[in-house]
Amino acid sequence: MNTLFQNAFKTAYNWVDERLNIGDAIAFAGKKTVPEHKHSFWYYWGGISMFFFIVQCLTGVLLMIYYRPGAEAYESVRQITNEIKFGWLIRSVHSWSANLMVLAIFIHMFSVFFMKAYRAPREFGWWSGVALLVLTTIFGFSGYLLPMDELAYFATKVGLGIPGSMPGASVLVDLVRGGAEVGDATIQRFFTLHVVVLPALFVPLLGFHLWLVQKHGNAIPPSEELTPVSERRSIPFFPNFFAKDLAVWLIALNVLAVLAALFPWDLGKQADSLSPAPVGIHPEWYFMSSFQILKLFGRWFPGTLGEVLGILVFNLGLVLWMLVPLYDRESPSGVKARRVTYFGLAVLAITLITTFWGYWEV
Amino acid sequence: MNYPFWDVPFIGSGWVIGSIAIFHVMISHFAVGGGLYLALAERRARQIGSDAWLSILEKHSKFFLILTGVFGAASGAAIWFAIGLANPEGTSTLIHNFVFGWAIEWIFFLLELSAAAVYYYTWHRIPAKTHLALGWFYAVVSFLTLFIINGILTFMLTPSAAWLSAAGTGQETFYFFQAFFNPTFWPSLGLRLVICASLAGIYALITCGRLTPKENPAKAEMVQWSARWLVPSFILMPILFAWYLAMVPEVQRAFLSIGISSAAPGIFTQVTRSAILTTVSSATIVVAVYLFVWKKPEDFTLGAGLAILFLALIATGSTEHGREMLRKPFVIGQHMFSNGVRKSDVATFNQKGYLTASPWMKGIKIPSKEAGLIMFRGQCKSCHTDDGYRPMKKFMAGRDLPAIKNVLGVLHDYKEDSPYRRYMPPLVGKPSEIESLAIYLDSMVNGSAADAKK
Repeated sequence: MNTLFQNAFKTAYNWVDERLNIGDAIAFAGKKTVPEHKHSFWYYWGGISMFFFIVQCLTGVLLMIYYRPGAEAYESVRQITNEIKFGWLIRSVHSWSANLMVLAIFIHMFSVFFMKAYRAPREFGWWSGVALLVLTTIFGFSGYLLPMDELAYFATKVGLGIPGSMPGASVLVDLVRGGAEVGDATIQRFFTLHVVVLPALFVPLLGFHLWLVQKHGNAIPPSEELTPVSERRSIPFFPNFFAKDLAVWLIALNVLAVLAALFPWDLGKQADSLSPAPVGIHPEWYFMSSFQILKLFGRWFPGTLGEVLGILVFNLGLVLWMLVPLYDRESPSGVKARRVTYFGLAVLAITLITTFWGYWEV
Repeated sequence: MNYPFWDVPFIGSGWVIGSIAIFHVMISHFAVGGGLYLALAERRARQIGSDAWLSILEKHSKFFLILTGVFGAASGAAIWFAIGLANPEGTSTLIHNFVFGWAIEWIFFLLELSAAAVYYYTWHRIPAKTHLALGWFYAVVSFLTLFIINGILTFMLTPSAAWLSAAGTGQETFYFFQAFFNPTFWPSLGLRLVICASLAGIYALITCGRLTPKENPAKAEMVQWSARWLVPSFILMPILFAWYLAMVPEVQRAFLSIGISSAAPGIFTQVTRSAILTTVSSATIVVAVYLFVWKKPEDFTLGAGLAILFLALIATGSTEHGREMLRKPFVIGQHMFSNGVRKSDVATFNQKGYLTASPWMKGIKIPSKEAGLIMFRGQCKSCHTDDGYRPMKKFMAGRDLPAIKNVLGVLHDYKEDSPYRRYMPPLVGKPSEIESLAIYLDSMVNGSAADAKK
C-alpha cells in the first residue's frame, strides 16, 4: 500500500517536473543558505508578516461574498457578525490578522533597521519594505471604515480631517471622501481602495521585495560581521529554514486563533452623522503615535499652524527614516553608524511613548 | 449566601480558579502519563541495555519530580483554596458527598509524591529490577489519583439520575457509586488518559530537546519514541470526544452550536469558541509533531519542544474551559446553579426571600441599594464583574431603572422560552429584593444621575 502510494506520488511528481522543472527550483533553494547566529530570530518576522497577509487575502475574499458597500454596509456586517455561520469568526480573524500584520511589519522593520540590513546593496529592499508598511496602514485605515459603525465613522472623520487642514489638501481629501462628509460615497471609495487599488499596488511591490531578498540573501548584523567568514554558520534555505518558517507560521496561526476566538471583534452601534461623537474616540493603535504627535503640536502652536507644523515634522521624520541607507555610511571610527542607531532608538522610543501617552489621554 | 463573598475585580473569581486549574491540569496529567512513560521507557532501556537511554531518563525523572512534586502539588492545593472561596456551597457539596473519595484520593496523592521522590533518589542505588518495580508502583497510584478525581469532576456535569433523585434528602451518600460512575465517567477517563499520554510525550521531548546528538547518541531514537506517545490521542480523541458528548444532556450539548452564527456580547458562545480553539491547536500539534519531531528527530531543539508545549497549553486550556462552560447554568448539573443556589431552593427563596436568612443583612432595609449589593454578590458575581469579564456595566448599558427591572423580571420569571434560561440561573427572591438589585444596578450603570433621582 505504502509502495503503491509512493509510486503514484513519484509518477505525478515526474509529470509535473517534466513540464515545470520544479526539481531545479528545489535544488536552487537547497543551495541557497540563511545565516545562523544569535540574532536569527529576527529573520522570521518578514515571513510572519507575509503569513498574516495571506490570511488577510483569504478571509477578505470570504467577507466580500456577504459585504455590501454603500448604504447597506452596516447591515451586511451585522449579518456577517450575528447571522451567517462562522461569519463572526472570519471577520474576527480578518481584523485580528490585520492588526498582527501591522505589528509584525513594524517588528520586521525595526529589526532590519537595527541589524543594518538596509545597507548596500539592499537599499531597495528597505525602501520597498517601508512602502509596504505605508500601504499596510492605508489598508488598515480604509478597512476600518467599512463596517460603518459609530467608532469607524468618527475615527475616519477625524483621520480625514487631519490632512484636510493642510493648505491645498482639502481637494484631495474631498476626492477620497466623495464629498464634504463621510457617507455612503466614502464607503464605496474606501472599499474600492481596500480591495482593488491597494492590492494592485501591494502585491507587485511585495513580489519585488521578495525578489530582492532572494537576490541579496539575508543580511548579517554588524556584530556578526566581526566573526571570521570561515567560522560563520548557515543553514540551507530548503528544507531547513523553510521548515522553521513553517513552524513559526503554525505558532502565528494559533496566536491568531486564540485572539479571534477569545476576543471576537465587536460591532458597535450604527453610525449616525447627526449624533455627537462618542467619548474617547481615537484612531487605531498604529496611528496613535502620529495622532498624539499632531495633538502635541496643536497644543504648542494653536490653530492651523500647529497642525501644519505637526504634519511637516512627521513627514520630515518619515523621509529621514526612508533615506537612512544613504547617510549611514561606513566610517573608520564607526561614529556615523552609532549615530544612526541612536536615531533608530529615538524613533522607537518616541513611537512607543506617544502611543502609550495617546491611550493614556483617551 | 451564608458565606463571605470573595470579590475579585476585573477577572472575577472564576478566572482565578480557571487559571490555576489549567496550569494544574498541564502538570497533573503529566504526573499520570509521565509515570507510565518512565516505567515503560526504563523497561525498554534495560531490555536493550542502553546506558544512553537510562542517562536521559534519569535527567527526565529529576525534571518530572520537580515539576509534579512542587508545582503540581502547590497548584493542586491552590485550587482547593480558590474553589472554597469562590464557590463554597458547591465545594461543601462535593466534600459531603465524596468523603470517602477524597480520603482515598489524598492517600493516593501521598503515595504518588513519595514514590516519585524515591524513584528519582534511588537511581543506581537499588537493584534495577526493584527500581523498575518502583516505577510501576508510581504509575499505578498516579493512575488511581486520576481515576478518583475523574469521578468527582464528571459528577459535577452529570451527577446521575439516581443521585439527583436523592439530592436534598440527606440520603445522597447512599448513591456514592451511582454518582461516581456517572454517565460521563468512562468517556472522560478515556479522554484524560490519552491527554496524559500526549503530555508525557511532550514533556519528554522537552528533556530530549535540551540534548545534542553529541551529548547523547540516543537522542534521535528517544525523540521518535516519545513522539509515539501522541499517537493514541491523534486516533482516539475524536472517538472519545464523540462518546463524551453523547453522554452529556442534550440541553448542554446544544451549547456547541450557539456560537456558530454569532459571538455577540451577552450571548453564551464560549463552548463553541473553545471547541474551535481545541480543534485548531490539536490539528497544529499533529502537523508539528509529524513534520518537526518524527521526520527530523536529530534536529529537534528545546525551542521546538517549548512551542509544542505552548500548543498543548492552548489545546488543554480551551478543552478544560469548554468542559467547565458545558455545565452552565449549573455548577453541579441539574442540582446547584453556578451561583450556589440549589434548584430545589428556588421556590422557597421566591416565597420567603433570598436575603431573609442572610447574616450580612443586619441594619439594612429592603428595598435599598445596600440590599441590592448583597443580592448582586450572592447571585450575579460568581460569573459577572462590574466592568471586566462579562461586565454588568456593558451588558446593562443604555438601560434606565424600568428597563433594568424588565431584564431582571425576565430572569426571575425564568420562562421556558426565555433565551437566558439556557445558560443563566434564575434570579431568586421576593419582589422587594429584586427591586433592590435593580436599584443597585441602576446606580452602577447610570452612576450619580441614578443616585440623584432617589
